[in-house]
Amino acid sequence: MDLDFSPAERDFRAEVRDWLSANVPDPPLPSMDTAEGFQAHRAWEARLAAARLSVVSWPEEYGGRGASLIDWLIFEEEYWAAGAPARVTQNGIFLLAPCLMRFGTPEQRARWLPRMASGADVWAQAWSEPEAGSDLAALTSRAEPAPGGGWLLHGHKTWSSRAAHATHGFGLFRTSGARHQGLTYVMFPLDEVAVRPIAQLDGLPGFAELHLDGVRVEESMVLGEAGQGWSIAMATTSSERGLTLRSPGRFLATADRLLALARASGDPAAADRAARCWTEAEAYRLHTYATARRIMAGEETGAAASLGKIFWSELDLRMHALALELLGERAGETPWLDGFLFALAGPIYAGTNEIQRTIVAERVLGLPR
Amino acid sequence: MNFAFTDEQLAFGAAVRDVLRDACPPAALRTERRPGWRRLAGLGLFAALLPPERDGLGLGLTDVLPALEEIGRACLPGPVAETAVTAPLLPEAAAGEVCVSVLAPGQAYAADADLADLLVVLGEDEARLVSGEAARLDPRPGIDPCRPLFAVAYDTSEPLEAPAAPVLHRLAVAGAAQLVGVARELLARSVAYARVRTQFGAPIGTFQAVKHRLADVAVAVEFAAPLVWRAALALDAGAPAAGRDASAAKAAAGEAAALAARSALQVHGAVGYTDELDLRFWLARAWSLGAAYGTSAVHRERVRSALLGGDARRWP
Repeated sequence: MDLDFSPAERDFRAEVRDWLSANVPDPPLPSMDTAEGFQAHRAWEARLAAARLSVVSWPEEYGGRGASLIDWLIFEEEYWAAGAPARVTQNGIFLLAPCLMRFGTPEQRARWLPRMASGADVWAQAWSEPEAGSDLAALTSRAEPAPGGGWLLHGHKTWSSRAAHATHGFGLFRTSGARHQGLTYVMFPLDEVAVRPIAQLDGLPGFAELHLDGVRVEESMVLGEAGQGWSIAMATTSSERGLTLRSPGRFLATADRLLALARASGDPAAADRAARCWTEAEAYRLHTYATARRIMAGEETGAAASLGKIFWSELDLRMHALALELLGERAGETPWLDGFLFALAGPIYAGTNEIQRTIVAERVLGLPR
Repeated sequence: MNFAFTDEQLAFGAAVRDVLRDACPPAALRTERRPGWRRLAGLGLFAALLPPERDGLGLGLTDVLPALEEIGRACLPGPVAETAVTAPLLPEAAAGEVCVSVLAPGQAYAADADLADLLVVLGEDEARLVSGEAARLDPRPGIDPCRPLFAVAYDTSEPLEAPAAPVLHRLAVAGAAQLVGVARELLARSVAYARVRTQFGAPIGTFQAVKHRLADVAVAVEFAAPLVWRAALALDAGAPAAGRDASAAKAAAGEAAALAARSALQVHGAVGYTDELDLRFWLARAWSLGAAYGTSAVHRERVRSALLGGDARRWP
């Protein structure tokens, strides 16, 4: 066991740090959930991609560097420490891309991945439906074979993150009645879809509902085989809950800022709580190094990812809530208020924390159903 | 970077586990003060941290973490960790021929002092050695029957060459590693009981309230353990923030074990509140080790002071 970075890893960190310090926008970009901010974030993604820093862990042919998970964690630490913009391409990069890499055809990968890496396409996830959130297999949207090939998509998706401005969506559609076996993973352009933006607590349309009324897609928009959608989606959600959804770098940066805020407040009780949060962010970072090592050694981490999801989402919320307590009415003048509203969603999305606790209890601890 | 135990480290832990399974079954907790001591000495546990030129194994604290976790898991009585950690100060301790108890600064009593041939008294800066014959012991009430406490008085003592702080940090991390083992065992026993105990016609482990409570224990243990590993690595490497990291580890492990104990008691109900059920030994160990070598509150305070004092450096 050691915690020593190799010379190559240290060089990579230095390169990332130098590039970010020269390129991170100042003042910060407007929210990606405004039309103006969305374009600004897309332009930022293109700039990152030009430096081959948008998808460091991807193979070089798709715009990455073939970097190891450890390098990716280093990148993320530097990225968030530098105060760089939130990733508008996050849903595509972290949710769809791993499935494309694993289940996509060479043509699908070549067609979609480089455009995702550069921000040319921005993907919205379309998992949830009005009656199917954490119980995803209850969904009723359907894909029907279209005359002359391809599929016709019908149904109603909701809570679709980024869909208000994104170019494409991906989600599950029912192709037969069987609960889990009847689902198919489909990608679709959003220009034929009726999109109703939904304002979030911050007033901005961070997600949207989608009405699909016979949207036609080519056969090549299906990922894997028809009926395979559930297992493909599960591969996605395990990465969603695991390493890639929320890297430790984000929480380390928040913890550092919280510590500075607590120090300035002179309030010893707040300092205590801030120090605890800082330590927990460290624990999440160390745990992630250990998990990365296991994944790099070919182990499946599976349901253990649920432990991490509970931990980081509640830590994030605690940190932001403490900052709001310290700032009082002034919170709205700082990024902490937006951060708090964003953190509130953590225990809700990607499988609520109640669902995660049940997964931990049943699949990690072995308690009966 | 390889933040995972090596095969050798795991093998040493497994060897200790095998010995303890045999030498320290729960029944031994009611009858024996130092079960398995000679066999653990035979594995080299007491010589592990000594350099090879003093007939030691030349290992670091990191190398014995899995072994220490097993000691916690077994709820092993006797000052095993104390003797192993202080061995580098005391050449004759290497073979496990002497038994060492420790009185740490801020600590009122020394555990297992009646068994000790030597008593290491740690101040904030200096360390002193008191022989077992020179120590006058007064038993004090405590919670842990396998870790009896003694007030210690003495007239004669010798100074030890080594500074006290690193020893104290190592004892705190050794305690934290054992607490992780205690917490894991408490969780395993709670899960096993929740699977078989039925109420309202169903195993209580099917109830979501029970599931979620135990899932929270699993989260607490899962994220305390890497802090313990990091602290041991930092101490072995002489990293500047090692003392802060040792405190973070002790506090997190102590709190995880306390949560595991509290949840175990709740899941077991009244039977868990008895002396008859073996669970009581692990409950007691969570509390007694949690209070040893600095309580969680003391260590939290140290982390806070270090961080607010400007030492928010990340290691690595």
